[in-house]
Amino acid sequence: MSRAAYVIALATALTACNAPHGPRFRAAGRTTPYIGGTLHIASKDQIHTLDPAIAYDEASSYATHALFDTLLDYAPAVAGDDRAAYALIPRLAERWDLSADARRLSFTLRPGLRYADGLPITTADIVYSLERALRTVDSPFGPFLADVDGADEVVAGKASHVRGLRIVSDRELVIELVRPNVAFPYVLTMAFSTPQRADYVAKVGDDLRRAPLATGPYVLAAWTEGTELVLRRNPNYWDPQRGRIETIELRENVARDTQFLMFERGELDTIEHLATPDYLWITSEPEWAPTTLRFTPLTVYGSRMNVRRPPFDDVRVRRALNYAADKDHMIKLLHGTAVVAHGALPPGVLGRDDTLAPYPHDPAKARALLREAGYGPGHALALRYTTLNDEEAQQLAGSLQDDLAEVGVALVIETMSLATFATADTKLDGPAFALESWIGDFPDPSNFFEPRLHSRMITPDGSTNDAFYANPELDRILDAARATADPSTRAALYRTAERMVFDDAPWIFGYHQQSIEVTQPYVRDYAPHPVWVRDYSAAWLDLNPDDERQLR
Amino acid sequence: MIGLALRRLGWTIVVAWFAVTATFAMTIAIPADPARALLGPHANAETIARVRAHYCLDRGFVAEYACFVGHVVRGDLGESFRTKRAVSAIIGEHIGPTLELALAAIVLQLGFGIALGVIAATRRGRWQDRATSLVGLPGQSIPIYFIGSLALYVFAYRLGWFPIGGAGDGLFGRLHHLVLPALTLAAGGIAYYARAVRVEMIDALGEDYIRTARAKGLPERAVIRHALRNALGPVTTLVGLDLGYLLGGAMVVETIFGWPGLGRELLQAVLEVDLPLILGIVLVSAIAIAIVNLAVDLVQLALDPRLRDEEPRR
Repeated sequence: MSRAAYVIALATALTACNAPHGPRFRAAGRTTPYIGGTLHIASKDQIHTLDPAIAYDEASSYATHALFDTLLDYAPAVAGDDRAAYALIPRLAERWDLSADARRLSFTLRPGLRYADGLPITTADIVYSLERALRTVDSPFGPFLADVDGADEVVAGKASHVRGLRIVSDRELVIELVRPNVAFPYVLTMAFSTPQRADYVAKVGDDLRRAPLATGPYVLAAWTEGTELVLRRNPNYWDPQRGRIETIELRENVARDTQFLMFERGELDTIEHLATPDYLWITSEPEWAPTTLRFTPLTVYGSRMNVRRPPFDDVRVRRALNYAADKDHMIKLLHGTAVVAHGALPPGVLGRDDTLAPYPHDPAKARALLREAGYGPGHALALRYTTLNDEEAQQLAGSLQDDLAEVGVALVIETMSLATFATADTKLDGPAFALESWIGDFPDPSNFFEPRLHSRMITPDGSTNDAFYANPELDRILDAARATADPSTRAALYRTAERMVFDDAPWIFGYHQQSIEVTQPYVRDYAPHPVWVRDYSAAWLDLNPDDERQLR
Repeated sequence: MIGLALRRLGWTIVVAWFAVTATFAMTIAIPADPARALLGPHANAETIARVRAHYCLDRGFVAEYACFVGHVVRGDLGESFRTKRAVSAIIGEHIGPTLELALAAIVLQLGFGIALGVIAATRRGRWQDRATSLVGLPGQSIPIYFIGSLALYVFAYRLGWFPIGGAGDGLFGRLHHLVLPALTLAAGGIAYYARAVRVEMIDALGEDYIRTARAKGLPERAVIRHALRNALGPVTTLVGLDLGYLLGGAMVVETIFGWPGLGRELLQAVLEVDLPLILGIVLVSAIAIAIVNLAVDLVQLALDPRLRDEEPRR
C-alpha cells in the first residue's frame, strides 16, 4: 500500500466518506467533431528535451510525437484486434516500397509538405536528420540505423555523408541497407527520423532542445521547463483530420496521486499510470467504464537468469524456477492489469505462438527437476534476487520468494534504484538473478529477440543480452528471420525461435503489463496510440459551452 | 567585527568545498553509470562507451575531480547531462521559488513559534501551556510527506480552498499556491521554535534583572519585551542551523506540491545520476547555508554586545 493510500484512507475517515462517483463533467453530445478547446494532461516526470535526435524518455515522447511527423506511422488501434493495430501507414510519405530482398526502401513524399515556419519539407532534410542522429554522440538512435550502407563510417567520423541515403529528387528518397532488414521501416516511425532543416538547426544551435521546428500537427507555444509545456495547432500541417484540439497543456512533475485528485476534480482530461487505490476507485464506479481504456503495449516482464553462472548454467534449474513461479498470483497482485507471458513476444507481434502454453504452476515438477539437478532437502538451493526499489517490483519479488520457498529454494531479495539497477544488470559479474523488463521500440519480433537473446549483443559490461544467453542455432534463426521478407515464413522462423527460448528458459517468463488510461467523457475519438500510447492528434473535445469546466 | 566576518567567509569557502568534495566522492562511489541512466536500457555497449568518453566519465576519480574543480574555479558549473542546459541557468531558474518557500516557512515558524512560546512561558503550567504543546506535537512528530499529502487532500482537494499543486501566476496566485507548501514545511519548525522560545523565556523570566524590573513597577508587557530580547539570542542560532533542514524538507514538499524549486530538481538529478546538476545544487546550497550562518553570527553580535569582546579569543 502506498503512502498516499494511507493518507487517503485516513483522510477519508477524517473528512467523511469519499465514495466513488462518476464524472463531474459530461459530453455535450455533438455529432460532428469540434475544432478547438484545450486539453489538460500531466506527467509525473519532467520533459528533458524536444530535440528529436535526443528525446527518448516517456514524458518527452508525449510532446515529440505531437510536434514531429515521420515518414511512416501505425494505423490507429482497433479495439479487440491487436494485429491490425501494428499495420504501418504512410504519414509524410505518400507511398513507400521495400524491395523483395529487404535491402532497399524507396519513399515518395506527399506534395506540398511544409514546416511550421512555412518552408517546404524535402528529402534532403530527412537525410540530414538521420545523419545528425548518427553524428550526435549522445543520441540513443544511431544504432537503429546500423544497417544503412555507410552509417558506420559516419559514426566513426570517416565520412560526412551516409552513402546509403540517396536523394533521387526533392520528393523521392532511397535508403540502401548493407544487410536485409524487414524491420527497418519501423525505425522510420520513430520521432528522431522526422525531417529537420540544416540551416534552421545551425541557426538555433543548442536551443534546438527548446525551439523545435515542427513537422507534426502541433507547434510549441510555450514551455516553462519542469512546470508546463503548451502545444498549439500547427496552421501549416497537411492533414485536417489531425490536430483538432486547439491547445494541449501538459503539466510536468505532477505526482501520480496528485494527478488523480486533479483528474477527479476535472482539472485534467485524461490520466494514465493509476496507482492501485485510484485504479480500484475508478473501476468500482460503472460510470467510468466507457472511458476506461485498456491496451497492451509492447512490454515483457519477468526474471532473467545469468546462464553462465551456477546454478543457472543448468537448464533443469531454470525450468524448475519457471514451474515454481505462480504467474496467476502475480497477475492478481497487479489487479488483473497484465496477461501471462509464455515467451519473448508480446501479443500482436508477428511470430508470437499463441498455441504455446505458459509454464504451468507445478511445484511438484519444480521439486523433481531440482532434485535431478542435485538440490533437495540435504542440499537446499539459496538464491539472491535483484529488483527495483519501487513498491510493485518488491511486491512481485515477494510473491516469487513465496513460490520458491514452496519448492525448497530460499530467496534473498536485494533492491536497487533504477539507475543503479540499469548499470549493474548489464554486467557479466552483476546480479545473477534479477528482474527482467523490456519495452519495445517497435512491434517487430527482431526488437524483442536480437538485443536480448542474440549472442552478438553480449559484452562483459553493457550487455543488453542480460541473461548472457548464447545459442548459435538461435543466432542463425534470428539472422535468417531478419532477412526474410515473406511474413508467414518469417513468422514460422520466430515461432521456432520462441519455442527454443521457451525450452532453454533463460528467463522466468512473467507477464505483459496492460496500460490503463481514463479520459473524461467529453474527450472523443481517442484511442491510445498502439506504440507511443499518448497521442491526442485525432481526438476532439465535446465540451458543453455552459459547463463550468469551460470557464477555467 | 570586519576581521571576524572575513574569517567566517574563509570558513564558508572551506565548508562549501568540503560539501562538494564529499558529494563528488559519493556520486563516484554509487555503482550507477550516468551514461546508462542517460541512454536507457536499450543502449548497446559501444554507445555507452562513447558517451562515457564524451563526458570524461572514463578517466578515474582523480582526473574527473580535477576536471570538475577546474571548471568550478573558472565559475563554470557545467551542463546537465540530461537536459544539456547550463547548470547555472537551471539553478538560477529554481533558486527563487525555493528561497520564497524557505523564507515563507521561516516567517511562519518564527511568527507562530515565538507567539506560542511566549504564551506557553507566561502561562506556564496552565491550560494555554498544555494546549500549545498539544498543538505542536503532531507538527513535530508526523513525517513531512504525510502532513503534505494530508494537507493537499483535505484543504486543496476536499475543501477546495487552495489549488492542487503548481506555482500560480501574479502575486496573489503565487501566494495562494504558496500557503500549503509553506505551512507543511514550517509545521515541524513551529513546534520546535515554540518549545525553544518557551524554555528560553522561562529562563529569562527567572533572571535577576526581570525581578528588578518588576520590583521597579514596570508593566508586564515591558517585562516580557525585556525577557524576549534575551530569549531570542539562542533562537537566532537555530534559524541558521534550520536552513539546512528547510532545504532538505523542500525536496519533499516541492515534490508533493509540484513547487518548481531546487529541491525537486535535486531529487530528479539524484534519481537520474545527473552529476553536474547534483554537484551544482549541493555547492550552491552549501554556500547558502554557510552565508546564512555567517549572517546569523553577525546578527547575534548586534543583538548581544558581550559577544563582541569574547569572539576574537575563541
